[in-house]
Amino acid sequence: MAIPTLLGVSLLVFSIVRMLPGDPAVAMAGVHATQEVIERTRKELGLDQPFLQQYFRFLSGLLRGDLGKSIRTGRSVWTEVLERFPPTLELSLASLILATLGGVLIGVISAAKPYSFFDYTSMLAALLALSAPVFWLGLMLMLLFSVRLGWLPAAGRGSFAHLVLPSLTLAASSLALIARFTRSTMLEVLRQEYVTTARSKGLGERRVILLHALRNALIPIITVIGLRFGALLSGAVLTETVFAWPGVGRLVVDSVSARDYPVIQGAVLVIAFSFVLINLVVDLLYGVVNPRIRYD
Amino acid sequence: MASRRILLVWALVGVAVGVLGQTPRVGGELVIAFGTDPESLDPNKITSAPAGMVLTHIAETLLTMTEDLEIAPLLAESWEFSEDGLALTLYLRKGVIFHDGTPFDAEAVKVNLDRFRKATYAFLLYPRVQSVEVLDKYTVRLQLDKPFAPLVSHLTHNFVAIVSPKQIAELAEGQEIMAPVGTGPFKFDKWIRGEFVRIVRNDNYWGEKPYVDSVVFKVVPSDATRLVLLETGQVHAIMRVPPLDAPRVAATPGLEVVKVPSVRTIYIAFNYQRAPWTDIRVRQALNYAVDKEAIVKEILGGAGGVSTAPIMPLIFGYSAQNPYPYDPEKARKLLDEAGIPRGFKCTLYHPTGRYMMDAAIAEAVQAYLREVGIEAELITMEWAAYLAFLRKPVEEATFDMFMLGWGCVTLDADYGLFPLFHTSEWAPRGSNRSFYSNPKVDALLEEARVTTDPEARKALYAEVISILWEDAGWLFLHYEVQINAQSTKVKGLIHHPREYILAHRAWLQG
Repeated sequence: MAIPTLLGVSLLVFSIVRMLPGDPAVAMAGVHATQEVIERTRKELGLDQPFLQQYFRFLSGLLRGDLGKSIRTGRSVWTEVLERFPPTLELSLASLILATLGGVLIGVISAAKPYSFFDYTSMLAALLALSAPVFWLGLMLMLLFSVRLGWLPAAGRGSFAHLVLPSLTLAASSLALIARFTRSTMLEVLRQEYVTTARSKGLGERRVILLHALRNALIPIITVIGLRFGALLSGAVLTETVFAWPGVGRLVVDSVSARDYPVIQGAVLVIAFSFVLINLVVDLLYGVVNPRIRYD
Repeated sequence: MASRRILLVWALVGVAVGVLGQTPRVGGELVIAFGTDPESLDPNKITSAPAGMVLTHIAETLLTMTEDLEIAPLLAESWEFSEDGLALTLYLRKGVIFHDGTPFDAEAVKVNLDRFRKATYAFLLYPRVQSVEVLDKYTVRLQLDKPFAPLVSHLTHNFVAIVSPKQIAELAEGQEIMAPVGTGPFKFDKWIRGEFVRIVRNDNYWGEKPYVDSVVFKVVPSDATRLVLLETGQVHAIMRVPPLDAPRVAATPGLEVVKVPSVRTIYIAFNYQRAPWTDIRVRQALNYAVDKEAIVKEILGGAGGVSTAPIMPLIFGYSAQNPYPYDPEKARKLLDEAGIPRGFKCTLYHPTGRYMMDAAIAEAVQAYLREVGIEAELITMEWAAYLAFLRKPVEEATFDMFMLGWGCVTLDADYGLFPLFHTSEWAPRGSNRSFYSNPKVDALLEEARVTTDPEARKALYAEVISILWEDAGWLFLHYEVQINAQSTKVKGLIHHPREYILAHRAWLQG
């Protein structure tokens, strides 16, 4: 499944970037360039060839593990993307962990004590976090924790402290979504008969919720978490810009502005590949959580 | 009486200590935040100001442009044009060595200039420069086919920064320079893409050595984040403060705002080959219709100046004209005379986020035009799409008006006028995207290129500018002022009109 998906993605991104108005040769040569310079640039980049020829050249390069050279910097696309991928991975994984732990915890507590003060405030906060634009939230956190309190560095990458604000910003909407989703799934599970049975056996409420209810609620929750990973990777674009985080999201934005086709293609492929990979992990997790699911 | 004298002595001592306290401190790391990662650090490849700023510290040019926009010696100690203006002789500085220990000499200059022939911006020197000759170890001569007066200012640009010939020799075919080896006060240290470029002091520098140990140029794309980093002390200086934030920054203790004129002129051009823009009354009417003063004052927060020529005042060849006053009544009268009906519809294309407050300014212009009965439809375009759109030949050009900026980076009127107004430069060939054409202007611009006497050139440009102004070749708007900010702990930073912050003589207070 993974290979046809990636092939589809490659064709899609290859055609979409070429459908964008604008021309890499013009964009690269800049506002001051003459036509002579632009024509020469276009030839050098192989952009004067027909579309299909360009695509097959790209595909054959891809099969040999060669993604081409960046139009903007002249460096290999692999180098460009792989250099910028670890920061993004670090940021999205940190956010994923934060969103999962925080979201499940809040969701479970809210479901255990529905319509309590905790439930109302946390669900309201979740609604706000879901609707807050990332760049606004990022700036607000920065103003509070860096400017006012001076606890954390405002931006940049370096120590663990540098990771806190961007991952919190990026995690916020996923955390909120997971919390709301966990709460509703848990509430549904808690109404099931086997939960009533467990309770009537005289098991403690904590045991009922964590062992019997949560375990059964986990499958849909894991699905949502897996899907959110894609959102985290793409949400990284804004977060990386606000926090000056040197990741692949910003690389994509810079490359789109410069119409740097090879880098856009390469970065999107790598992102698509990691998304496919995460989905595979999610599928495998189903089996772990529920042994009735088997892959033969 | 005695006690008062003692007091006076102490006061004087205090003043002296205060002055001594200003002795530059050696050491420390200076951090400057800017918005975009350099696209390259190969002199021949760079096109943007951020790349130029970093490179200026590492690789030096033959001549330099000071922050007062005077051409001054750097790697060349002096220069002279031959009588006929066909040869430029440069006398090089002796005792200069590259960061890799290679001595700097005439051969190194030749290797670098010959390499530049293949670069994107080669047209700034070639084909005018026919050959580069080594006369002796420290003398080079550039042979021209025609006199080309702007040559000296072109030699101040980073495109022709000199790097070690050893580095060039070791480059593989098609490979570009990643870690430039120059002769500058700082040496290249490290470049983490998207994050920072770090340079360190060159202790063998031929000139006055820098005070700071190292400089980090940090890439921070968001304007708001750069400000926060400055406020929290994570960086010492930042580029491009949003105009509306400038007063607040200026009022913050420990911070200061630095305003530097930029060489960029912002204008709205007409489709000069298409009715009704062929009518001088219409073009003049639009110049009367827009309140440029209000735009500069209210939208730019004073970070600019109303244009008084198509180039800004610091450019060589500038000649001041009287701005068209804001006079909607006169504009309406001129439009009536030209037979333009009320509610006349046209298009105004503009970029967004490229120039300071560009979209807001386009909206203001739209509102002013509506006042005189012109309905301009605003069409916002993303930069790369915009550039391609404005590259079309005259028969395919569909716009009525467009907004653009032109940085006259060579600081010579030739580059601010010739590519924009000469008929041979019509898009797509050159940058005359409005298809302006005037035989008189063409002739004067050509003559100014081959005239070597500076005063005579100035007179020629003054004439060109006055014709363009009278002719209302553009809807003249303003030139930009760049707003930077820095911590008061940093002394001696140079904020250069080329949109550079230079750390050559900067030091950090303890």
